[in-house]
Amino acid sequence: MGHYYDIDDILIEEELVSVVFQKAANGVGILDPGAETSTVEQGSKVELPFWLAHELHLRQAVSVNVPACFDQKTRKEIQADAACVDLRNRCAYFYELGCKIAPLVGDKTIGALLLYAFKSRYKDVLIKAHTAAFSLAPKFMTLLTNEETNLYEAAQSSMAAFKRWRMGGARFQRAAVLGKKRRPDD
Amino acid sequence: MYGREARQLVKELSSGENGQLKAFNSDMVDQVTKACSVHHLELQSLIRKIQEEGLDTQTTRNADHFGALIHHLALIRNKRCLMAYVYNRADSIRNLRWKVGNVLPQEIKGKLSHPEQEYFKNHDTALNLYMSALDLDLTVDFVPPKDPYIQVRVIDDIGEVFLSDKKTNLVCHSIHFLKRNDAEQYISQGLMEELMG
Repeated sequence: MGHYYDIDDILIEEELVSVVFQKAANGVGILDPGAETSTVEQGSKVELPFWLAHELHLRQAVSVNVPACFDQKTRKEIQADAACVDLRNRCAYFYELGCKIAPLVGDKTIGALLLYAFKSRYKDVLIKAHTAAFSLAPKFMTLLTNEETNLYEAAQSSMAAFKRWRMGGARFQRAAVLGKKRRPDD
Repeated sequence: MYGREARQLVKELSSGENGQLKAFNSDMVDQVTKACSVHHLELQSLIRKIQEEGLDTQTTRNADHFGALIHHLALIRNKRCLMAYVYNRADSIRNLRWKVGNVLPQEIKGKLSHPEQEYFKNHDTALNLYMSALDLDLTVDFVPPKDPYIQVRVIDDIGEVFLSDKKTNLVCHSIHFLKRNDAEQYISQGLMEELMG
């Protein structure tokens, strides 16, 4: 459970998951684009954000399906060459969502999949963060999930800090809040 | 979909470059609070419907109950997003006092809402009170000093100022040998840069 105010935690819970309503619900027709009345019927298949699906699942109002990003095709690709799979496109919070969704869908294999994917991709992220030139980075960055991007940036900034410590250099810096270039036009 | 506007707000926080504030999005905040009122009304009308049917609102688990539940959850979700928006901005605003000093540059000031500007002032007052009680300036020497004096180049017209030991005219592009403490605030505001020997 993330921190209440945590931005990433809030955004993870915005990921859509597909659910099947086990109970009907009145006055929420907007949730089901196919509904003709304002009622979502029992048995309708609807895409809900995780925060809603999770709470409704706890009250046995819906059953949650395994999201598409954990399907067989993705699994095969990860097994073939994990580092080249475009996980960002499938789900920007692949790992975190996996951790949150696994207990809901009762799929024991998701944990192993996440671990395998992370182990094989982490090495690559770390090596690239230390060696890749800045011009090369953007192409490779588009494959990374947000968790991996954070790791990548952490690795890069610690490398930069290490270099600064060894070579010496300006110790004072302008506050990051001001942005890179400031041209006051008043 | 419920919570769409609230999601936009939180997205805005995460898209800013490391710790940079964006203008306070009062439009979006209004939209979210409006959505909250709508959810509240829907919730009330569904509960009333249950009561009119003569059912117990605590134990009934019919379609109305689940409809009300969904509106309730959406309300709570919107609240969380609003709170996160304000909280994380307040965090950055407190940081501003430490990084930029007690006077905000105009372009940052314009991005704060009125209560936020008030908050900044109050934080400034509290910090000043504490520092005068301690008789110690906590905002200097964030980087451990090697030498009490450093060489700097002025990169913006600052004009004539009183520094701790003398009156100095800081013209653009001039180079000075200043006390670290004096230079520190100008560097963090981006008006000077440190020259490395």
